[in-house]
Amino acid sequence: MSTPHASSISGYILKGVIIIILATVAGILSARFFLHSSVVEDELAATRFPVAREVKPFALVDHDNAVFDNAALEQHWSFLFFGYTYCPDVCPTTLSVLNSIAQRLQDVDADIRFVMVTVDPERDTPERLAEFVTYFNGDFLGVTGTDQGLEQLTRQLGILYERVQPEPGSEAYLMDHTAAVFLFDPDGRYHAVFSPPLSVETIAGDFRKMLQDYQ
Amino acid sequence: MIQINMRIPAAVVLLFLSFLSSAMAGSAVDVEAPWVREAPPASTVLAAYMVVKNTSDTVHTITRIDSPDFRDARIHRTVVEDGVAKMLLVEQLQLPVNGSITLEPGGLHLMLYDPQRPLRDGDSVTLVIHDSDGGSITVTAPVVRKTGGHDHSHHH
Repeated sequence: MSTPHASSISGYILKGVIIIILATVAGILSARFFLHSSVVEDELAATRFPVAREVKPFALVDHDNAVFDNAALEQHWSFLFFGYTYCPDVCPTTLSVLNSIAQRLQDVDADIRFVMVTVDPERDTPERLAEFVTYFNGDFLGVTGTDQGLEQLTRQLGILYERVQPEPGSEAYLMDHTAAVFLFDPDGRYHAVFSPPLSVETIAGDFRKMLQDYQ
Repeated sequence: MIQINMRIPAAVVLLFLSFLSSAMAGSAVDVEAPWVREAPPASTVLAAYMVVKNTSDTVHTITRIDSPDFRDARIHRTVVEDGVAKMLLVEQLQLPVNGSITLEPGGLHLMLYDPQRPLRDGDSVTLVIHDSDGGSITVTAPVVRKTGGHDHSHHH
């Protein structure tokens, strides 16, 4: 009497264990399938958000002394880079890359803007920024502002920058700064980020794909 | 000393320089493809790039590169750590035996402070590369406009 009962209990346990194993396997397989398919779907070197991120209010000033705030990111695509003009290597190299991207995307049916936001507002006046960015491309825009205005934008993007103590015998300080390029869509939302090393071909190609998906 | 130099006609200086470079032809250290990135008009900092070669069977160390065309010059290395670009001061360049070290955009470069005169594409500057054994070689580097657009291509 007790034996059949016991065997039916062990039978239930066995069935339960089998179901759990099957469910786990199914779960792992489907997770792998979905993760894999989402990677295949994206195929971008850029990090793109599934849903573009809202940009919290910020207010800066462009190199023509016009307000550069959330509205300045709307109605067109914007590539933003955060650098400074006393930067001999990384910033000129990045602005050259951005200019190459601009040339390469000339055929694209979209309004695209390129902006360098300075992380060194103390030295980078609007006039100085204007000379610096337009040297690379007459349509490039330089943006500066108060420390507070700069923090409003950089904090939410996770951008880091820091003044470095001048080297012995040198009075000019250098800045450490996030080297990535940030993309904002015509809704003024944070759409994607390109991490270094920055490649003209990759960024231009990624942008074309993202533009297609957006339309 | 400077005054004496100033009075020497440019042709004599050039002759001397060419003699110097030919005298250094057998030197263990050689520089290839040096160039200086033209900077936007307002800039007071520039960067020079080059390949420094060691053609000998002994290790050579570059202790300094300077230029009479700038107030100061320092070897820097751009590194990106956790997405943040930093410039690190490089005390010396140790050239491997029969090897080379490349200074190129986004990596090692010679940071040049305060040009003595405006430098535009087509100009040239003098760079002096100092070896730890006390020797030095002098090279002429063209200033090249590189803006990613329709640049001239001076070097290959």
